[in-house]
Amino acid sequence: MKITYPHMGSLNMILKTMFEGINIEVVEPPPVTSKTLSIGVKYSPEFACLPYKINLGNFIEALEKGADTIIMLGGVGPCRFGYYGQVQKETLIDLGYDFKMIILDPPHGRLIDFLKDLSGYFPGVYWKDALKTFIFAVQKMIAADNLEKHLLILRAHEDKIGVTTKIYEKYVEGLKYAKNKKELDYIYREGVEKIKQNANVKRDIQLKVALVGEIYLMLEPFSNMDICKSLNELGIEVTKTDYLSDYLINSAFKLPQKLEFKRYAHGYLERDIGGHGLNTVANTVKYAEKNYDGIIQIFPFTCTPEIVAESIIAKISGDKNIPVMSLSYDEKTGEAGYQTRLEAFKDLLERQKINALK
Amino acid sequence: MGKIVGIPKALLYYNFYPMWKTFFEELGAEVITSSNTCKKIVDDGVKSCVDETCLPVKTFVGHVIDLKEKGVDYIFIPRVVSIEKRRYLCSKFLGLPDLVKNLVTDLPEIIDMKIDYYRGDDTMKKEILKVGKIFVNNSKKIYDAYLKSIEMQKKFESIMRKGLSNTEAIKAIEENSVDVKLNGNLKIALLAHSYDIMDDYICMGIIDRLRNMGANVFTTCMLDRDKIELGASKLQKDLFWTYGRDILGAGKYFIENRDIDGVISVSAFGCGPDSLTDDLLERDYKRDGKIPYMSLTIDEHTGEAGITTRLEAFIDLLRWRKGEITI
Ligand code: SF4
Repeated sequence: MKITYPHMGSLNMILKTMFEGINIEVVEPPPVTSKTLSIGVKYSPEFACLPYKINLGNFIEALEKGADTIIMLGGVGPCRFGYYGQVQKETLIDLGYDFKMIILDPPHGRLIDFLKDLSGYFPGVYWKDALKTFIFAVQKMIAADNLEKHLLILRAHEDKIGVTTKIYEKYVEGLKYAKNKKELDYIYREGVEKIKQNANVKRDIQLKVALVGEIYLMLEPFSNMDICKSLNELGIEVTKTDYLSDYLINSAFKLPQKLEFKRYAHGYLERDIGGHGLNTVANTVKYAEKNYDGIIQIFPFTCTPEIVAESIIAKISGDKNIPVMSLSYDEKTGEAGYQTRLEAFKDLLERQKINALK
Repeated sequence: MGKIVGIPKALLYYNFYPMWKTFFEELGAEVITSSNTCKKIVDDGVKSCVDETCLPVKTFVGHVIDLKEKGVDYIFIPRVVSIEKRRYLCSKFLGLPDLVKNLVTDLPEIIDMKIDYYRGDDTMKKEILKVGKIFVNNSKKIYDAYLKSIEMQKKFESIMRKGLSNTEAIKAIEENSVDVKLNGNLKIALLAHSYDIMDDYICMGIIDRLRNMGANVFTTCMLDRDKIELGASKLQKDLFWTYGRDILGAGKYFIENRDIDGVISVSAFGCGPDSLTDDLLERDYKRDGKIPYMSLTIDEHTGEAGITTRLEAFIDLLRWRKGEITI
């Protein structure tokens, strides 16, 4: 069996570690490029959203590389992500590929049940072994996510533009191949240190922006044209409000994160509407109250929950006097236009901050 | 004089109006609807919404503004989470009252009743009382009104099953008579959300247009439930959206049963759920290769000419296949 899965932020790192840990051969989907996207677009329904199209591109590229089994997450709605797998499967069948598709519904409660479910597809693997490698994989993911959190602040202060990104990429790659916890911790600490050494630029007016929105767009830099990097290079510190590790930790320990969201969103959006709509609204309120300078919402074009959220956060922006910008992405999104909008947003935030100081 | 409750003539109006109206009237309220969709209503909606909002929701917002201008005491904007066990509606319905409140200022009081049958109907009881108490302080009366409204819904649905469209069925109930000519010799399934095909302004009277071209039209509301269930049982994974599932179920039923000459699917530009269900159906029809399938997308710029041409071409194709015309 040669297994593959879609890319999504640090997901590759964790799945690769986990499957190889239980001796299952993995065919990593090639890194997402515009080729991946154009293959995906070619075979997707026109109005399917960007993550769907990139996923499909990942699958086709991995099948071409010899994968024969696809792992995909499912869902129970109301967001359409829960039905992606079904449609993608039919598409790949029509394209003539010979493969098996495993669609896993996300853990409703306990992660352990989820793993047991998963191991059901791999007879001969004990879920206790799987659990051990899984824990190590999660540790890697946490390390990678934390490294990124440092990056998104410190890169805004880098001495020489572009250097921090290179350091970061080198250390993430290191984390991916770490053999044990000790090695992992070592690489992580050294990575943070190296990034810090290159971050000595201080500004009188330092801008801080929180990134909210749909989770795939938030996790997969290709899909958002690496917005964090662009913002950092404009000198803006960025806080991403969603990480895969936070999500896993929350669902593993059943933390009442949803309650926190409901509290923040109260008065604007009174219930979960599927996808990340509630998170988007809640995080907008939360970071406005934390005195961030601005909020940027990113989401795939036609993503229904995010469109509802977009309509609502425009109101929050006025109420809480915080600039909010919404960016939706599809395959036609051009890089140039986006860079201009980011720069204009930066100018706006700066002006606002200077006025507030007066 | 009772208080006036306004119901926007958009979205789920087409699926539940007689029921909602009965409920409020039984409680002593007066019910009015917004005007028929027109350019002003659509423009008002488009102006108030963010660009990417789908046309049905933009139109809904326009209808809310129309009601506000009419000076009603309340506007009924239910939060319809789920109308049956274990299935949802599209995200927009789940956040509809929040959406409207954040987009339109100076609204009269909104009745944002939560309709949620996802886990069975216990939660409904509380909601019904909460809403009923706005009008009368008498639980029994409120509950009776609810039962009456459910009866009305059943009646409404059974009228549609006779082949009447949602709007015709509403008319039949209100005026006790309608005359509809159902004598076409082509059978066409029109698979879509009611609000996409029932609003004569948005969809340019597609049903009557098809009938005038000699077709008998079947929508999901006109079909027997068991046919839809039979079709839906062919799905590899049950679909979690009620209306999307109805569309797929009906579509799959016709592939097996062949009791139809052609299928037209209509969806709003950018509609998330429809983008997937449409793709699945089209794939099925292509693989089967026996029944022609056409899909139409509508938005605020859709022109009448475009729709007419495509419908005519499709009808010609069906007639040609039947050997009625030669090209
Ligand atoms: S189902 Fe589609 S058209 Fe209807 S409200 Fe949802 S996104 Fe809009």
